[in-house]
Amino acid sequence: MSETLLSVRDLSVAFAGEDGPRTLIDGLSFDLGQGEILGLVGESGSGKSLTCRSLVRLMPSPKLAITSGAVMLDGKDLAKVSEADIRAVRGRDIGMIFQNPTSHLDPLMRIGDQIAEGIRVHRGVDGKEARAAALDILAQVGFPHPARQYNGYPHEFSGGMRQRGMIGVALSCDPRILIADEPTTALDVTIQAQILRLLMDLRESRGLSVILITHDLGIVAQTCDRIAVLRQGRLLEIGDKRDVLGQPQHPYTQNLIASHPSMPERQALVVAGHEPAFQKARPLIEIDDLHVRFPVTGRGLFSGGPREFAAVKGVSLQVMPGETVGIVGESGSGKSTLARALLGLTPISDGHVTFDGADIVTERTKALRKLRRETAMVFQDPYNALNPRLTVGAMLAEVLAVQESVPRERIPTRIGELLDLVGLEREFASRKPLSMSGGQCQRAGIARALAVNPKLIVADECVAALDVTIQAQIVDLFRDLKQRLNLTLLFIAHDLAIVRNLCERVVVMYHGEIVEEGPTATVFAAPREAYTRALIGAIPDIDPDKPLLSPRGGDDFVEETPGFVTGDAS
Amino acid sequence: MHRYKFVLYRPLQFLPVLFGISLITFVLVRLIPGDPARVLLGTKSTPAAIAAIRAQYGLDQPIWLQYFYFLQNLAQGEMGKSILYKIDVLRLITTRIEPTLVLVLCSVLLSLLIAVPLASLAARSNGGPADHIVRFISTFGIGFPPFWLALMLIIFFSVRLDLFPVSGYGETLADKLYHLILPSLTIALSLSTVLIRSLRTAMIAELKGDLATAARARGMPESIVFWRHVVPNSLVPTVNLLAVNIGWLIGGTVVVESVFALPGMGQLLVRAIFSRDYMVVQGVAMVFACATVLVNFLADIVTVAIDPRVKQ
Repeated sequence: MSETLLSVRDLSVAFAGEDGPRTLIDGLSFDLGQGEILGLVGESGSGKSLTCRSLVRLMPSPKLAITSGAVMLDGKDLAKVSEADIRAVRGRDIGMIFQNPTSHLDPLMRIGDQIAEGIRVHRGVDGKEARAAALDILAQVGFPHPARQYNGYPHEFSGGMRQRGMIGVALSCDPRILIADEPTTALDVTIQAQILRLLMDLRESRGLSVILITHDLGIVAQTCDRIAVLRQGRLLEIGDKRDVLGQPQHPYTQNLIASHPSMPERQALVVAGHEPAFQKARPLIEIDDLHVRFPVTGRGLFSGGPREFAAVKGVSLQVMPGETVGIVGESGSGKSTLARALLGLTPISDGHVTFDGADIVTERTKALRKLRRETAMVFQDPYNALNPRLTVGAMLAEVLAVQESVPRERIPTRIGELLDLVGLEREFASRKPLSMSGGQCQRAGIARALAVNPKLIVADECVAALDVTIQAQIVDLFRDLKQRLNLTLLFIAHDLAIVRNLCERVVVMYHGEIVEEGPTATVFAAPREAYTRALIGAIPDIDPDKPLLSPRGGDDFVEETPGFVTGDAS
Repeated sequence: MHRYKFVLYRPLQFLPVLFGISLITFVLVRLIPGDPARVLLGTKSTPAAIAAIRAQYGLDQPIWLQYFYFLQNLAQGEMGKSILYKIDVLRLITTRIEPTLVLVLCSVLLSLLIAVPLASLAARSNGGPADHIVRFISTFGIGFPPFWLALMLIIFFSVRLDLFPVSGYGETLADKLYHLILPSLTIALSLSTVLIRSLRTAMIAELKGDLATAARARGMPESIVFWRHVVPNSLVPTVNLLAVNIGWLIGGTVVVESVFALPGMGQLLVRAIFSRDYMVVQGVAMVFACATVLVNFLADIVTVAIDPRVKQ
């Protein structure tokens, strides 16, 4: 490690709760070297974000306080300096960027002015000089037209450009340390790769030291020099990334690594086989030249005829019974719209969708009755998809009673069976979602889907909000259920690695069209299309020696809108 | 500038709104029991005299025909003749509109001058003594009826301290404004309580929000965090609340004008209602309605100007 810049010693943070103080960060010690990228890894609740907030004393609640320890920077203990001194450190010595650039940027202020603001306050220069410096920073963080884009408001930029803007704001005061709190979690993989590349470039050009908080071991493997693994506020291990990833000492780290979807062991689990069976059977789903168009809102009296946004443009797809098909694509690729159209939840503009022989356009009533009884959906956010006022048992009983698939007196038994199927203890029947973890809620959501005895389950990003170890468990559950119940599974995800683990066939969507489809192994081993290659190349692999976007491999598909977002796709 | 294009076409949408308002006011006025001719003639009323007056003002016509004439006049920019004052309603209104207009403007400005600092003070000391005092005052203020408040202000400032006139309206501009101080204060005190509550809540949410955290994380002093980021973002929801309240306030001037004997639209309206002066009531109601529509239109323009995300 190079010369130490920041040194954290025995840092503890406690929450002053009603029933006494609760220690959230417990005796944490680590060093950050000059020009080093340190990865802070852990699952939700591990205290990784709180640790970084504590470094600059930006506590998310007044009830949180540093109880002991020191944060040494230039011989000063940041845990003890005055409020004015710590304010001088924030921004000027330690900059910060956050997961959600949309909520952390001021929506009412031009992006350039937000960068210039910090320059004016910290360097005490006049408006003109600050503007010139801000233009320079905009160019450095990858805005192609700084002079024009200086005047853009945050909502006019795409998610990736907003994150670049926030990095620009953080760099405005020329800090030596940048704390990046899950900076790419909300972004698509190809954009994520670009932002990570930018962070590494900035480290090179400015000698910036970075603390990168992430839940994704692939990201740390690709970008960091050293890794610190946190769990429940304690540091489990810290060391060079090759040592930690290669020979993890702590069982928790070993489990974390084993859960990562890009691990070879997990990829080997893909069930190969029963392909011959597909040929004879009739497809369960047939999609033929499907178009879904939405009217663009906000049209005025004088702006001409109605404008439309095509979310799905001529998609044809067949899914055989018992097949597991992964639909991948970045945000706005139309993958969710496709699923909703298929379930009859979104009107179809053109084309045909047939479910088990019933055409949902021409025989809508019949097909919808079939769909409601034989398909189910699992949603992304397990908490929002469950009624917070119902117990899991009541929620399942409701579905069973409506479906009338089992006699009333057998409902309690059936609830028990469903909970067994998804691996929840039977006592969960009396619990409500708020007293359950994300993974448990998602299991309950899957139990609800299974309650209808579906032929088809559509899972829309159903593991995206979960921690990796939980993700792995849910994916295993799907794999198990698929075999036991002969389910057809349509698995929508932006995370290619998970699709690779679970699905036999993969469909890649881009801008409302299918650009590539085929058996998963073939598509991943030899992608035909440049877009698929870019998408696969952008997955941060857990192996540090498989570099991300090797020599700028994603250039074919740089962000669609490097400047302003055009159209009203939202 | 396409975001401002609605300024051109929105007024077209006002036409059906105004038509609806005219219909409602026309019908409602005629639902008030009583007869303008009888009120006008008072003790001298004979059936013949009443019939003559009714014929003179077209009140003997079927109601739908009366409404048709009313619309026809309106289209020509006329509102008929006052039964009581014997002059054109439009002329009558133009002589009375100034005090009301100035009163509303002063009240709104004054209420903002009261609300923004107090809400800021409360939000920044969230949970502290200043917050408790401001919240106490604003809760208390909502409970005070404006007429009572007006009387208290007159007793204290005019009678005891002899600082302001008890009632009436001046001749010169300075004198007019001087006469309007207490009436404006009465309205502003009521209005500001509503604004304080809305602003304080919005400010507290913004102060705890991501925006403020990000600004503090780059070392911005609390004053910049507050005035450059928190305040503008808190104003967005309050602008619309203010517009709704101004609409309500235009009607509220009736009470205050009566208490302070201001020769404005409110006073005119009260007298017109008592004397069943249908034409005047209709005319004033139309003006009030148009003003409310206009204020909301202005609020939409202000919202677009503050918030670049908004498209109308």
